[in-house]
Amino acid sequence: MLELADLVFVMLGISALLSIPATILAIISRDLLRAVIFSALQSTMYTLMFFLLMAPDIVLVYVAVSIGFMSLLIILLIKKVGRYERY
Amino acid sequence: MGSELQISMYVIVIVSLYVNIAVCMYGVISKPNLVKKLISFTILQDSINAFLILIGYKLWKPGILLQPPVLLDWNPTSEILKQFLERAVDPLPQALVLTAIVIGLAVNIFLVTAILHVYRHFNTVDMDEIGKLKRVVVVEETT
Amino acid sequence: MKGTRIRDAIFIASIVFAVTILAVPTLLGALGHMPPVDVRTIAIKYLNNTYNPFNQSIWTSSPEAVAAIVWDYRGLDTLFETAVFYSAIIAALALYREILGKKDTLEGRGLSIIVQRSTAISMVGILVVGFATILHGQLTPGGGFQGGAIAAVTSVVAIVVFSRLFIDRSRLSYKHLLVIRNTALVGIALTAIIPLIFQLFSNQTTFIFQNQGKAMSGFSYPHTIADAPMGGSIWFYNLFEGLAVVSAFSLAMIIVFYSEELSRKTIEGEESGF
Repeated sequence: MLELADLVFVMLGISALLSIPATILAIISRDLLRAVIFSALQSTMYTLMFFLLMAPDIVLVYVAVSIGFMSLLIILLIKKVGRYERY
Repeated sequence: MGSELQISMYVIVIVSLYVNIAVCMYGVISKPNLVKKLISFTILQDSINAFLILIGYKLWKPGILLQPPVLLDWNPTSEILKQFLERAVDPLPQALVLTAIVIGLAVNIFLVTAILHVYRHFNTVDMDEIGKLKRVVVVEETT
Repeated sequence: MKGTRIRDAIFIASIVFAVTILAVPTLLGALGHMPPVDVRTIAIKYLNNTYNPFNQSIWTSSPEAVAAIVWDYRGLDTLFETAVFYSAIIAALALYREILGKKDTLEGRGLSIIVQRSTAISMVGILVVGFATILHGQLTPGGGFQGGAIAAVTSVVAIVVFSRLFIDRSRLSYKHLLVIRNTALVGIALTAIIPLIFQLFSNQTTFIFQNQGKAMSGFSYPHTIADAPMGGSIWFYNLFEGLAVVSAFSLAMIIVFYSEELSRKTIEGEESGF
């Protein structure tokens, strides 16, 4: 019989497992814009993990900094230096 | 205490964080593009911070719901404080991770500015080509 | 390409080896019982004393444990973190000191008028949410850094929607932002030093970063504001840190947004890159 504690732990496991393909795709893809989008997807999975671990201060900081500010800064950087990797 | 499902899910989260850290280290060392190195470095910092917060969690005892370390009653009695101590999650890793996120953000902002500066000197952000260009200039200067 | 294939194969093998070598002791119990059975004793002491009206000699009068640890129990860590953040922004500004404040060569017009009017309305809402998060940092999850990051969305959106020329001519040019940031840091330093100044004028011992009265000193910041607990000095720290973070993010955006023609002026006169 599933209790509330089991559900919380299962959600933790699912969101951690979903962040592995996002990280691998972010590092392997040669189009840098796609790499930034996959990195933002991995940050979303981590935000869900932080919320389930009862850390609301960290959720507020992490959403504003990692999904918002760093993605914007790296997209501006890609516009100036070039979008595709050589190999 | 704690059922098999809970313990195995917790171990799965820890091992997936190990995999993330190892893959990001590969990304930092092996890819020659500077922007790809920066993206891998950012994900590495976030994975290590997530591991720190994971250590501060607690086991669910039967009948007790966990809560974040915020006291909700502004005139607490002794009984309410004891309940708070049984339910609250560890606040110390959260405070340390807050500091770590801010320092990581400051370093990343400076790295973005440094990458722009390198691009304007060498006109490329590929480390292999920058190495070849530097070798050419050094050979020219010493002959 | 063959060299990189061999290199990739070696790296993948070493990744699998490293994860295995870390995972086997974890499964066998090297991290203790997982998840932990109870919090550590130091966490029990922090949670017990952060808002305990029966033992007011080491309390912090803020019912949120994380804000109390960051600004009162471990205030010196936050002092050095603020110093690191400040030096990073100053270092990034110092690379561009010749062109800061010059008129940019590109003429921007921003986006269309519908976007501009609706952004102007929503920017007020974002600022209100950000400052509410800053000022409630001792009662609910929030605080200086969180609210500052939320309120900084305003300036980022303003640079993109209205053009960059408009922002340079308005009251939020880089000089005013630098003044705001320096004032906020002076505010943080003053809030930390006021107990020491109080010691010069009266005969009690006080400590630096002191928040509430301790057993051997009588100086204390006020501990309620209207009818809610105010964290004493924690409220002031949150306010100044929020202002500092808003201006720091806006400055970082302004630095990256310069056009290429103008930015190449900083490397004039250097033929080689090093």
